[in-house]
Amino acid sequence: MSITYMLRDWTHYRSTHPSADINKDHPEGYKWAMAIDLDACTGCNACVVACYAENNLPVVGKEKFAHGFAMHWMRIERYWNDEDIETPQHGAQFMPMLCQQCEAAPCETVCPVGATNHTPDGLNSQVYNRCIGSRYCSVNCPYKVRYFNFYNYPEQEHAWPDPLPMQLNPDLTVRTKGVMEKCTFCVQRLYEAKSKARTDGRLVKDGEVTTACAQSCPTGAITFGNLLDPYSKVAKMWRQQRMDLYKDVQDKDRDGNPENIRGYRVLEELRAYPSIIYLERVRDAQA
Amino acid sequence: MGWSGASLTVAGCGFTSIESGVETVESYVQPQDFVVPGIGIYYATTCTQCGGGCGMHGRVREGRVLKMEGNPETPNRGRLCGLGQALVQHHYNPDRLKEPLLRQGGTLQPTTWNNAMALLAEKTKNAGDKFALLTGPLSGHLKVLAQNYVESLGSRNHFIYDPLATKVNRSVSERMYGVAMPCYHIDQAQLVVSFGADFLDTWVSPVHFSSQYADFRKANDSKARGVLVQIEPKMTVTGANADRWIPVRPGTEGALALGLANALLQDPAYAKNVPASVAASVRGYDKTHVGQITGINSEVFDRLLALLRERTPSLVLSGPSAEGHVHGAQNAAAIMLLNFVLGNVGKTITAPARVPFPQMAPADGDTVALNAFNDGLMHGRFETVFMHDVNPVYTAPAFLQLKDNLKKAGFKVLFTHYRDETAEESDLVLPLDSALEDWGTHIAAYQPEGVTITLQQPLMERLYPDGTRSFGGLLLELLKQHRPEEYKQWPDYYSYLQSALTKNKSAFKDPAADDGLFWYQTLSHGVLNVAAPQEQHLSATPGIVNVNLPAASAVDQEFPFQLVPSVRSGFRDGRHANLPWMQETADTMTTIVWDSWVEIHPKTAERLGIREGDILEIASKTGSVKTQAYLFPGLDPDTVAVPLGQGHEAMGRYAKGVGVNPFKLLAPSFENATGELAYYATRVKISKTGDRVTVVKDEGWRPGVLSTQQGRKIVATMAADKVKLFREE
Amino acid sequence: MNDFNKDKEKDIRDDIAWAQINKDVLQSIEKPRAAFWYLFAFAGALFAIGVGCETYQYLRGMGVSNLNTPQVWGLYIASFIFWIGMSHSGTLLSAILHIIHADWRKPIYRFAEAMTTFSLMTAGLFVLVHLGRLWEVYYALPYPNERWAWPNFQSPLNWDATAVFTYLTSSMLFLYVGAIPDFAICRDNARGWRKQFYTVLALGWMGTDRQWRNFRVSYMTIACFLIPLAVSVHSIVASDFAMSQQPGYHVTSLPPYFVAGALYSGCAAIITLFIVLRHTFRFEEYMTFPILDKIARLTFAIAMVWTYLNFIEYASVWYGDDDYAKQVLIQKATGPYAPFWWAMNFLGSVLPFTLLSKKIRSNLTAMMIISLLLNLGMWLERWMIVTPTLSHDYYPWMLDHDQWPSFVQWGIVLGSFGWFGLLFMLFCKLVPSVSMYEVKEMVYHRTLSHRHGHAAHAREA
Repeated sequence: MSITYMLRDWTHYRSTHPSADINKDHPEGYKWAMAIDLDACTGCNACVVACYAENNLPVVGKEKFAHGFAMHWMRIERYWNDEDIETPQHGAQFMPMLCQQCEAAPCETVCPVGATNHTPDGLNSQVYNRCIGSRYCSVNCPYKVRYFNFYNYPEQEHAWPDPLPMQLNPDLTVRTKGVMEKCTFCVQRLYEAKSKARTDGRLVKDGEVTTACAQSCPTGAITFGNLLDPYSKVAKMWRQQRMDLYKDVQDKDRDGNPENIRGYRVLEELRAYPSIIYLERVRDAQA
Repeated sequence: MGWSGASLTVAGCGFTSIESGVETVESYVQPQDFVVPGIGIYYATTCTQCGGGCGMHGRVREGRVLKMEGNPETPNRGRLCGLGQALVQHHYNPDRLKEPLLRQGGTLQPTTWNNAMALLAEKTKNAGDKFALLTGPLSGHLKVLAQNYVESLGSRNHFIYDPLATKVNRSVSERMYGVAMPCYHIDQAQLVVSFGADFLDTWVSPVHFSSQYADFRKANDSKARGVLVQIEPKMTVTGANADRWIPVRPGTEGALALGLANALLQDPAYAKNVPASVAASVRGYDKTHVGQITGINSEVFDRLLALLRERTPSLVLSGPSAEGHVHGAQNAAAIMLLNFVLGNVGKTITAPARVPFPQMAPADGDTVALNAFNDGLMHGRFETVFMHDVNPVYTAPAFLQLKDNLKKAGFKVLFTHYRDETAEESDLVLPLDSALEDWGTHIAAYQPEGVTITLQQPLMERLYPDGTRSFGGLLLELLKQHRPEEYKQWPDYYSYLQSALTKNKSAFKDPAADDGLFWYQTLSHGVLNVAAPQEQHLSATPGIVNVNLPAASAVDQEFPFQLVPSVRSGFRDGRHANLPWMQETADTMTTIVWDSWVEIHPKTAERLGIREGDILEIASKTGSVKTQAYLFPGLDPDTVAVPLGQGHEAMGRYAKGVGVNPFKLLAPSFENATGELAYYATRVKISKTGDRVTVVKDEGWRPGVLSTQQGRKIVATMAADKVKLFREE
Repeated sequence: MNDFNKDKEKDIRDDIAWAQINKDVLQSIEKPRAAFWYLFAFAGALFAIGVGCETYQYLRGMGVSNLNTPQVWGLYIASFIFWIGMSHSGTLLSAILHIIHADWRKPIYRFAEAMTTFSLMTAGLFVLVHLGRLWEVYYALPYPNERWAWPNFQSPLNWDATAVFTYLTSSMLFLYVGAIPDFAICRDNARGWRKQFYTVLALGWMGTDRQWRNFRVSYMTIACFLIPLAVSVHSIVASDFAMSQQPGYHVTSLPPYFVAGALYSGCAAIITLFIVLRHTFRFEEYMTFPILDKIARLTFAIAMVWTYLNFIEYASVWYGDDDYAKQVLIQKATGPYAPFWWAMNFLGSVLPFTLLSKKIRSNLTAMMIISLLLNLGMWLERWMIVTPTLSHDYYPWMLDHDQWPSFVQWGIVLGSFGWFGLLFMLFCKLVPSVSMYEVKEMVYHRTLSHRHGHAAHAREA
């Protein structure tokens, strides 16, 4: 039980406020980020099903869903517009919401046992075997994208009757009751890709690894990649949209967004510094 | 993505296994040399969940398939919809049939394959026209074998049935454009006006169209962002993404189209695109008249007209909600006419290449086939009936009384994966290999780029090696029963396919000289592109110049609402209701799970005193269902919508007893020109049963509250003319 | 009428013999009224219900409590705070009033201090009950492990663990030390196993001058130590919410608000237990109406402090800039929890005004009911802090996902009262619940002042 290690880990994993230096915060050379184009998202839910398939998510059934125990790490929200709610003449508004992997995650500071931390490659990690299920992280999450295993789905609730367990992805655990879980940016894929790249003595190239949701999306609305790689598609999108990871009010917004750039982050004013930018949905004014 | 593409047959196929006959599905004792434990291997196959025919890659670890991804080399461009992802749940479904069942003494009892095959031989001896085969849409070699088999029996009764057929669209397209299924270039259009064609979710080839839609929405130096207008009685997923969604009185889409044509044709720039008789025939459809018929006010009409004039090239699509009426073909013709008026033909609508193998060319189904099949049953014409890829007892409307008529057939055989409603009425139920255990070739009905044949190959050993068999293999066996000389050279379906394709390899692009290498590459890529496919051309003038829309008929006051039996991408015609991911994934428009519902416009609900969660009885003249009410603003106020696909009485634990089946309600209305069942022509009445439930959905549970962002910036929207464009990189 | 009044004002006799005090208190241990056994059985029954519910929850998963996403905290956390709050009763009475030499506390502070200890133990139960994997609760402690993993010291829940533990040990120490002279009395008067029991506990107390002097100093030291500890404990528990950024939780005034509420519910509980003990253990001589009167007035004063802090919270939200917090406040007043919120405000702010009436303050039944209702108000207050925020926070999609707590949650909450009741009743049966030596001191001080008073009178006369 070394104090030295505690202090070292403290600075590594527990910084509550990111420094302005993205390289210092992510010494490995990776900062995983996403850009979701809401004008391309059709709300089809392919990403949701892909996530279920990749991450061993339990199907909880009607009764449990009715109680609010759904385990979809990614959810597609459908909003109506207040103004034309009687006849929604500009369609509906879809929002793919998943863990925003905040740089100053409100969930990380409040876990009593330190089951959720920030990794050097920019993810908000969830350590299942450390979690004692106090659920404080879910209380503090402004997006409510954390999902608690209220039941023992694999063993007691029979979420996977034979032969469905054969479909389970062996690269990650199947969680038991009492444990919090959430989107991990398919960390099992990232781990494998980084490992392979490391063997080759390089960093992961853009396009070499992607999340299940981004891979499945029929319109390619989700872009995933390494923000520290200047040539990656996601870094280009963040640059185009003038989004700075470490600002709670972007420069363009401070000036009233005169160029009408579409990028924004959800609930940015809460200073969680999410790693996902959304590109505003567009509607033709003439239509 | 780092997949080792080698897909030599042995590791996954069901015919030449490593330890022949003693397989259980576990890690190999002697794996192939490229199998490394812990590293996934990707094999190419084809998705069979809908008619889109997307190519897939399946990730296989230690001899079992785990996850599906899209194949980048097929028109779905490496993407996959949720239904495609759920193919693994079809394969690993706990309610899959594991052994043949024979009806003895009124109940289905397990039997052996030998017994079954003997029975099949016996019941088809000298069958002639007393034999009938009812299948779903077919293409590729399965179609060849099926048709050959029926022919070998001397029967002419092959009915190809698709409950969600786009037959009206195909029939009218053929007359208007000269081809049944033209290519739609959404990515090149500046404006898409869709009359109910849900191309992003359920229409024709949704993943491919979605991928085009992404380009459609992008702007760059040479093109502006595309605008989507959707006109339909109930908001579909595509409608939810529209820049302008226009609710229209059901059935009046044709009138709107003719009205727009009339207005456009005032301008000589458009008038020159079509024969003069067209202008004459649409003269009666002025804006006011159209407004009266359709309920669309003049401001909306004018805006749409302005868009059509300014955003070129455009693309006008006709969808099931316009076509599913007694005058559906006229509606479709009116809509397709607009493409000619606007000069879109040849630009955003082009002709596909001709499929060079007529025997393998896709045979899309229709509902006329069901009608004819039912007719034959009713008159006791069929002694022996084989059924595959259909569940008519579930999908047939009640007025057809198909379940009763089926009893008149002497011996009914169902080739299926699950014990569904039709199985419960059959005499012999034969379990099939799942889509991930089987071989096949597919030519999708929609061919956007040349002509492609996609391959289907097993991704792992059979889960039930003694229980299930390949349908293609069974057809081959059956053919051998009647034409042994012709078919004995092929021991199994795999060898049949391999030899058929290899023999014709010169028809495809860049085939390897070595046959073995050709086959290896074919399986590895999962797709064969026809070399030099024959081009076709669309007709320059519309095939129909005079569209005769019927006058509006008097509304039956006893049945004051129009029923929209909506299609959900996760369920389609109901065959996917036993996939738990599909039940658990919230419906895109309503977020409801694990149930059915009836969508009612909030104003209508208020008028009738209906609250969300009330159990309502929706009754047509020929049937009724009871389900929960859901307030949905995306509706024409006199329309109610009930989703298709639920209400199973069999088909496993995830489907049985969940929701209601509106197929039963459908009225005995048939489209005039094609004889297709007119799905959108059913009138219903609503009555409260007095019961109430809480609607199980993902959004907030307060009944009747429409989810909004509460003034918080969650989904922000920007006007298109203000958006800063970035050059596409 | 006069007699009646005199009765109500009757305080402990000045001339009561020390031996009488001993006898009365020791009798209470050996021969309580029948009501004791009924209460004990009732508490046992409630506890059994709690155990049953918790077993079910342990085996099946937290889902049986009807907590869900996003309502991940419910009655368990609310009750946890409630019980921590109750624990401030003892500290207030024993420590604070001791320092300011309020003699009237002497007959009642012992059981109040016991209340503190047992409340803390009950609160500790809720820490366990609310965890998804309670068998791993020790992860929150910095124990040597092969992964070199420390708990997260940034987390307010972790501070809770430390603070509550410290407070519990300090309270137990305070209770024990304060009872040593009484244990000696018991030792001197007991027979059989009790004699051995009390001998051990009395630590060889002989009542010498030296011992008394040391005793006074240590007792005062612990008292002075305990007061800031009490304030800090509940402030830390409040920081579970104040340190969060959720609207409705993120309120700076929450720590003092919680402390005020704690003192409030502690006082109300003292009144309840006062009345119960007075009857059950025949303490009519010691737990007199004047004392009840004083506690009631103290309760009123604290109620007004709490009301003020409550009002500040509403006002600062209402006139503030934080729209989300305002929405939560409106939700509290008009949403699904509105009846409970209004009840809380009524019971917490309006009902205490009844304590201004001397007549009510002298009526045992009325005081019993009022004190229970005041505590109900305080319990509701805890619930209304926890749940409405989770019901209506930042993210619009997760609004309106409310569920009524299941029988498991209610069962465990009831069970906690049973557990507390069991512990308390057991305590009263083993340890003198009225501090004999302090009562003697009080009587002595009274006689002294009377003598001086007479002397003064005599001089004047």
